[in-house]
Amino acid sequence: MSAPGRPKREFPLGGNGAQRPGGHMSATRRILDAFSQPGGRRPLRLLGASGQLGYGIPTPAFQAGLDRQPDLIGCDMGSIDIGPYYLGSGNMATARESTKRDLRKVLTAARRLDIPLVIGSAGSAGAAPHLQQTLELVREIAREQKLSFRLAWIPGDIPKDVVIEAIRAGGLTGIDGMPELAEADVENCANLVGQMGMTAFRRAFEAGVDVLIAGRACDTAIFSTLPVMLGFPVGLSVHMAKIIECASICCLPGGRDSILATLDDEGFTLESMAPQRRATPISVAAHSLYEQNDPYVIIEPEGRAELHNARYEQVDERRTRVSGATWVEAAEQTIKIEGSTRVGERAVLLCGAADPRFIERHEQILRDVSVVVRDLVCEDAEEDYQLYWRVYGMNGVTDRQPGDAVPAEVFLLIECIAPTTARASEVMRTMKQYLLHFGYEGRLSTGGNLAFAFTPPEVSVGTAYKFGVYHIMRTARMDELFPVTIEEL
Amino acid sequence: MQLQDIAKVIRSKNAGPRCTTLDIMFNDDADYQRVKQGGAIDAALIARLYDTPEQDVKIIDYPMARALKIAIPRKVTAGDPGDRDVYGAQQHSRLFEVEV
Repeated sequence: MSAPGRPKREFPLGGNGAQRPGGHMSATRRILDAFSQPGGRRPLRLLGASGQLGYGIPTPAFQAGLDRQPDLIGCDMGSIDIGPYYLGSGNMATARESTKRDLRKVLTAARRLDIPLVIGSAGSAGAAPHLQQTLELVREIAREQKLSFRLAWIPGDIPKDVVIEAIRAGGLTGIDGMPELAEADVENCANLVGQMGMTAFRRAFEAGVDVLIAGRACDTAIFSTLPVMLGFPVGLSVHMAKIIECASICCLPGGRDSILATLDDEGFTLESMAPQRRATPISVAAHSLYEQNDPYVIIEPEGRAELHNARYEQVDERRTRVSGATWVEAAEQTIKIEGSTRVGERAVLLCGAADPRFIERHEQILRDVSVVVRDLVCEDAEEDYQLYWRVYGMNGVTDRQPGDAVPAEVFLLIECIAPTTARASEVMRTMKQYLLHFGYEGRLSTGGNLAFAFTPPEVSVGTAYKFGVYHIMRTARMDELFPVTIEEL
Repeated sequence: MQLQDIAKVIRSKNAGPRCTTLDIMFNDDADYQRVKQGGAIDAALIARLYDTPEQDVKIIDYPMARALKIAIPRKVTAGDPGDRDVYGAQQHSRLFEVEV
């Protein structure tokens, strides 16, 4: 990872980052120092500003959160749920302008309050190009808003040789049945990242920072690292972090508004910063179900939080207090790694049909036409493409069940993935023409089998990717991963 | 009675790209206990509804939220060529008409 054109220094720095050039103490150093004073310990207030930075941060709730004088602002920016495209392509899922608006909002607020701003999984998927785009926005905002601060960034990329070594040492385990990896699978990844945890964040915080932008990271580490460094119980800190990284999703009704957690040594209290959203014991407990396959465990690189004895108690109509999570340290740290591999170039055909005879026979028709297409486009070329169709109304989303009604209309999404854009487009255009005019048995409508909402109905949609790597990695080179870089802005 | 007549939430979502999870939540303990004790929702039912081996079905009781959590493997890794539901958010509706 490099950020061309900007001066940067590798951690560790002389002076431990205690003082910024203007004589100003960094935000993390300030709070670490304050807590180390006799009598300096007190409950910690953490503001979960956004669970998906770049899709908009509602201002009233965020402002209400700032009015509560938080000790840290955190935002998660990415996820694996959005699929392999973003990780593979290096593109962000969010629009540049809305991402910049959100970043500006949290940056200016954090600098005004002089508290740490922590952002994880930069740029949607947290690989080098995502981190770079996010850092460019941060620098742009700093210039425009005349902000001066100490920025740390941590790439989430995992060097391929580290993974290959881990394969050779038997240190890789597929998650949920992912196949064993060959070395070529690693080499083929367009981008390969690992979810850094509290250990990496801690290195940055110890170096003294105002703003930390992390590549691919555990969403929990954004919020749990500082309290753990300040001596709060790890289990509670991780449990709290897992809830507030999604902002007010844990409330009733759930939403994207900022949420405030107040953490002490026995538990934490949750309060949405939007007045209509209530954190109830049930709504908060239910959040442990969300996108998790086990609601009782939160697995981190450093260990796991266990929630079997978690208690959720109502404080008042809008606040719930949570306690009881425990922490089990891992014997050895592990890293969840994610890699995305280019499959080919994708073109799609968008069309509909409203002829009951066509709809009734569509499976056979599509199979027959795909043979016609193959015979044409492979006359002087390899069969080097994959063809998929999804017939919405029939089985575009799920398999048909016995007794499902036959719809009056269907939508067909036909997809080709080929080595080149030109090849995918050739296959798709041929498919369009022969499907349009295919003379199937029983056909009455000889004008054409398809309805197009517009022409051209075939579109090239860019490169297709797949997850080639989704594994747990043990490595002897853990210390080399996730290096911290400090930059003075 | 069908599950959709008694449940507060019936939803699906990925838990990672290889796993679909189904959550069923109830309004109160009585409804939750009634469905649980009725025994209609078990691994055999989920295996049949989702055409997946019974031993791959995981069902976890989560009384704190009056919920049942079900996890099944995805047949296609999220976003792989041929996938139909990258987020896995539309795989829940065949639970609606389960008799409980």
